[in-house]
Amino acid sequence: MSTNASAENIQEQIVVLLPRLRRFARNLVRSPHDADDMVQIAVERALLRLDQWHRDARLDSWLFKILRNAWIDEVRSRGRRAKIFLPEEAGEQVGEAAIDREVERLSVQSALARLPEDQRLAVSLVLVEGLAYKDAADVLEVPIGTLTSRLARGREALQAMLRLPEGDH
Amino acid sequence: MDVSDEMLMAYADGEADDATRTLIEAAMRDNPEIRRRVAGHRALRQAVQGAFAEVLDEPVPQRLVAAARGAPAGNVVDLARARAGGGKGLRRWQPAAMAASLMLGLALGYLGWRSSNPLVTSNGELMAGAGLADALSTQLSSDRTPGRVAITGLSFRAKSGDYCRTFSLTGTHSSSGLACREGGNWKIKLLAQSPQTPPGASTFRPAASADSPAVRAAVEESIDGEPLDQAGEIAARRENWSAPASR
Repeated sequence: MSTNASAENIQEQIVVLLPRLRRFARNLVRSPHDADDMVQIAVERALLRLDQWHRDARLDSWLFKILRNAWIDEVRSRGRRAKIFLPEEAGEQVGEAAIDREVERLSVQSALARLPEDQRLAVSLVLVEGLAYKDAADVLEVPIGTLTSRLARGREALQAMLRLPEGDH
Repeated sequence: MDVSDEMLMAYADGEADDATRTLIEAAMRDNPEIRRRVAGHRALRQAVQGAFAEVLDEPVPQRLVAAARGAPAGNVVDLARARAGGGKGLRRWQPAAMAASLMLGLALGYLGWRSSNPLVTSNGELMAGAGLADALSTQLSSDRTPGRVAITGLSFRAKSGDYCRTFSLTGTHSSSGLACREGGNWKIKLLAQSPQTPPGASTFRPAASADSPAVRAAVEESIDGEPLDQAGEIAARRENWSAPASR
């Protein structure tokens, strides 16, 4: 940040991005309240590190990355014990009762929640947030090939869960 | 010619380079199977695009706007600190916390009886007063409209089959608690002082809905399965939070 004026300007840009940050956070933590806590932590961190943001980089990707890292720190510090506050991770951990409940048609949202985390984040960044592959790879700090393979596997799993009509249009 | 599914996906996402695009478009002309697969990718893209769209329409909580504008950090919740007590030592101090919570609950119940009635006692049991009961019955957890009696946090089915919700009282009582729907009433199972109420936090409400460690412990103890998502809350609200017939 070079001047106070530009710092304020970035703050207002962050305010504009808050709804999207909240949406992305819902893919990280299930409870809306916890998701908002993550957004708040990320925003506070971002303001402390404004000098690390390069103007030619997308502000939204940069914030998504900080949000994701804040979430990783949070998960690490809580350990597995607090799992109930996180989305269920993958099909492999779903008990039989849960499967019964899911037999009814899955909404896109609950289908997303059942994807393994890597795939869920790739799908969320590209298909929900509309990031380009290279920006999504940057947020997740993985090579672009890793991003595309997670995205492909995530889509395949979603296709199977949602049984979308295979469009003839 | 071999066209991989990842190539088709990239094409549907507008990410294919010129050479691949030409190749795929030629393949699509000749091969209905390729056309069908591309259409499948597009249909999925469209279906997923709208997921969580309702989040964009929700009012953004004031605390987040304040944080983005660089409000002094003392006023906002520090999740790590708030949860520091929720780590390994939890089981050990939990009974003490419960006892302290109960005392506080009785005190608040008395206060509530005399003033705005967030809590009332009935036959020796602590219940939500009209305002709090209304919030518990009607508010979704995503609702952060200012001026509410209480903020609702997490909703879930307890092992008893009843619906329970965590809440935080706003205003002068900065406490959070757990209420369960039993016999048409919201019974207060636990009430605890909210963590981190920093002095001088009057400009905007601290994130009072950060459940206290004691409340979190009580949730973990009684929850059956996963917390309700928004759709689950809406469905439970439709049934007035009465426990569904056992599965």
